[in-house]
Amino acid sequence: MTRPPHTPPAAGAEENPPPVLEVTGLDVHYGPRRRRRQALHGVSLSVAPAETVGIIGETGSGKSTLARAVLGLVPASAGSILIDGENVTAHRDRQWRALRRRGVVQYVFQDPLRSLDPDLTIEDSLVEPLLVRGVARQEAVGRARTLLDRVRLSDGLLTRLPGELSGGQRQRVAVARALITEPRLVVLDEPVSALDSANRVQILEILKELGASGVALVFISHDLGSVAGVADRVAVLYRGELVESGTARDVVGSPRHAYTRLLVGSAPTLRGARTDRARRAELRELLDA
Amino acid sequence: MVRRILGLTTGRIAVAILTVIALLAVLGPLFAPQDPLATSDHPLAGTSGSHWLGTDYLGRDVLSRLLDGSRVSVLGSLEVAVTALVVGAVPGILSVYLGRAFEWVTLRLVDTLVALPFLLFAVAVIALLGNGLTQAMLVTGVLVSPLFYRVSRAATLSVARSQYVEAAIISGASIGWIVRRHVWAKVLPPIAVAFAQTVGVGFVIVSSLTFLGIGVQPPEPTWGGLLASDLGYLGQKPWAPVAPALLIMATVWAGNLLADAIRDVSGEAGRALIDARRARPDRLDKTDPAPAGGTR
Amino acid sequence: MTRPSADLLPGRTAPAGPSASASPVLSVRDVRITDRASGREIVHGVSFDLPPGRTVGIVGESGSGKTLTCRATLGILPPHFEVSDGTIEIDGTDISTLTPARWTELRGATISAVFQDPASYLNPSVRVGAQIAEVLRVKRGLKRREARERAVELLRAVHLRDPELVYAQYTYELSGGMLQRVLIAAAIAAGPRILIADEATTALDVTVQAEILDLLADLRERTGLALVVVSHDLAVVAQLCDEVLVMRGGEVLEQGPTRTVLGAPRHDYTKLLIAEHEQYGLEKFLDLKETP
Repeated sequence: MTRPPHTPPAAGAEENPPPVLEVTGLDVHYGPRRRRRQALHGVSLSVAPAETVGIIGETGSGKSTLARAVLGLVPASAGSILIDGENVTAHRDRQWRALRRRGVVQYVFQDPLRSLDPDLTIEDSLVEPLLVRGVARQEAVGRARTLLDRVRLSDGLLTRLPGELSGGQRQRVAVARALITEPRLVVLDEPVSALDSANRVQILEILKELGASGVALVFISHDLGSVAGVADRVAVLYRGELVESGTARDVVGSPRHAYTRLLVGSAPTLRGARTDRARRAELRELLDA
Repeated sequence: MVRRILGLTTGRIAVAILTVIALLAVLGPLFAPQDPLATSDHPLAGTSGSHWLGTDYLGRDVLSRLLDGSRVSVLGSLEVAVTALVVGAVPGILSVYLGRAFEWVTLRLVDTLVALPFLLFAVAVIALLGNGLTQAMLVTGVLVSPLFYRVSRAATLSVARSQYVEAAIISGASIGWIVRRHVWAKVLPPIAVAFAQTVGVGFVIVSSLTFLGIGVQPPEPTWGGLLASDLGYLGQKPWAPVAPALLIMATVWAGNLLADAIRDVSGEAGRALIDARRARPDRLDKTDPAPAGGTR
Repeated sequence: MTRPSADLLPGRTAPAGPSASASPVLSVRDVRITDRASGREIVHGVSFDLPPGRTVGIVGESGSGKTLTCRATLGILPPHFEVSDGTIEIDGTDISTLTPARWTELRGATISAVFQDPASYLNPSVRVGAQIAEVLRVKRGLKRREARERAVELLRAVHLRDPELVYAQYTYELSGGMLQRVLIAAAIAAGPRILIADEATTALDVTVQAEILDLLADLRERTGLALVVVSHDLAVVAQLCDEVLVMRGGEVLEQGPTRTVLGAPRHDYTKLLIAEHEQYGLEKFLDLKETP
């Protein structure tokens, strides 16, 4: 295990603005008391305003648990989580609801088909976070229109149902929905892995713009390429631990942990088999040991 | 929703039949050509000018008895269904949201209700509350309510774990908001199906209780009662049960049709089918038995 | 991990370096596929030759006709789709002349396939090993005990760590990557000469995808299996294939040796696919490392 990613981003080097998200020594356990399993081991992570942090992990690495813990959907068993300076580790439902209604943190799910209610029109889904806060519908719809424009969708979609949209369009709606409360932090859990390559690129472009416009992003994915193309900083999650972190260039260019090396060696590239098969087999055995 | 149901042929048929039945229930007793309780000297008579549908074993006019009994029959079975709906569906939905204790208690109550012998329970409650149609129907409704509890709980559970509900929670939505906005539309179709079924079962229950002397007292007519009494004289008048049976069948059938129509216009299944067709023209018939290793 | 020797595997053991001049096991000639319901032509002419031990890749997004082309070669086109023109020859036999009985004989024994979502191709209530043994008993006429032993060998051949244990497990006990291996084991059980992998690694994690791709390359080298790899990801195809077809809207936009297509793409769509990969792939970081 290498050192936890506590290094501040290069951008705010002079004055270190307070982080939007600060996770320290987070442990999360799952399951009933007798068969408890640990999903996260001492994860520490800090995200500065307007910074994009990529978290790379595969099935079972605990990446979704991390996202859900940050959003208060699963309880932490040790460690602390600070969102915008507010310690949310011991928050009860009521406090969480108050925090959520301020719209500071938003979440984008992997599967855009299931994250939009199939019985509600796109307009209803988009304005929901604002209506929940008591914003007038007319005003909310106005904002929805500008956001659709921002994710390059026409406002003619407002009256449609999710089933009438393509996967890429639905995911852009999901992103617009997350942005409607003007959040300071958006957590994205595998936002592009259900999409084909043209739609994937489009969402990644939108995320890049977002990052540039001052929203902090936590971009969770198993796809090293997508994450490295967007994130300022990359952290690798393996079996519930952050095993490596650094700039995308460092992590991809000179991976230190065996798992990261396997990950980089496994990603298919246009140059053909980058790391040869024997080398990958060696790394697998090393990790299994 | 109503417009979408009426867009379907089956929906239109169902609504038409149910409207006729409802009119019968409201106006039927007024139209009865003769006194439904008046006996005559011609028991088990065939169709004639004075008795369109003949007479029963006491010489009473069958048409009049059918029309007069329609109100009690329809209201009775509706009462059963509505009671079951309120007693079952509301806690069913809430059991998912109101925490472990509520869930545990309601689940045990439902188990108890299922385990109770129906007739014993009915007789006991009638003894407590007094004999009458309303009491009998309320008891029946409570006893049928586990169906609604289970159906609505299952439907709610499948929605409660869905990502769009989580997305709403992350936006700070309250339980009331989530139920109204997301859960209700998904739970309605299965509940509608259960409701239509219960209305059908209601007719039969009304009549079987009548047989035991609970609820509607003879000689007051009900559809189910007519069916039961006519069945005893099949030897003399084989087609006698046809009229009440047809009425019950039509009502139950229309109820089921309506339930199907509701499911078709609001169900996620139908919509998912359309989605699949649109999203993946390339992957038609994923269920096609493709040979993995040439097993067939 | 013990590598089973080549002779443990069913099927022919081909010479290590198959030459391109060997007669093709699969030959597709200007195949067009039409939807009879609408009368529209969906696939407008696909041609390629596949010699033993070689790999052809088809790249395209959904709706490009790549899956229909595969299904046509397997003789399992969806209802009211038909091959309206061109010929497909499997091991020298024109498939349009095949009777259903001959098809049954051919599938599994000569041509076989694996698809995305392996779980849906296995019976959840039967042990996975028994399902492979069934293929062996039906296709190769093995006795119960022999079939079982062979199935375990096959599970070992697809690099499953504890084949005896996996044999007795059910689908829900296995991960996606393991299921895909089981499916590959079933697909190669009767020793086919051609294996079609249609988006077989799409739903898998990157490291698991690499394992499956490595396994396919391994099988190809050891048994002379000819592969058709279908993917929406250009890089997956680049990893494994000698020849690439780039498809869009039922049309083959570009076709040629992988090196040529990737190195000097002629069609704009291919260029776009490559550009997207350069930006959101690992290439730029790896290139930086190579040229300090």
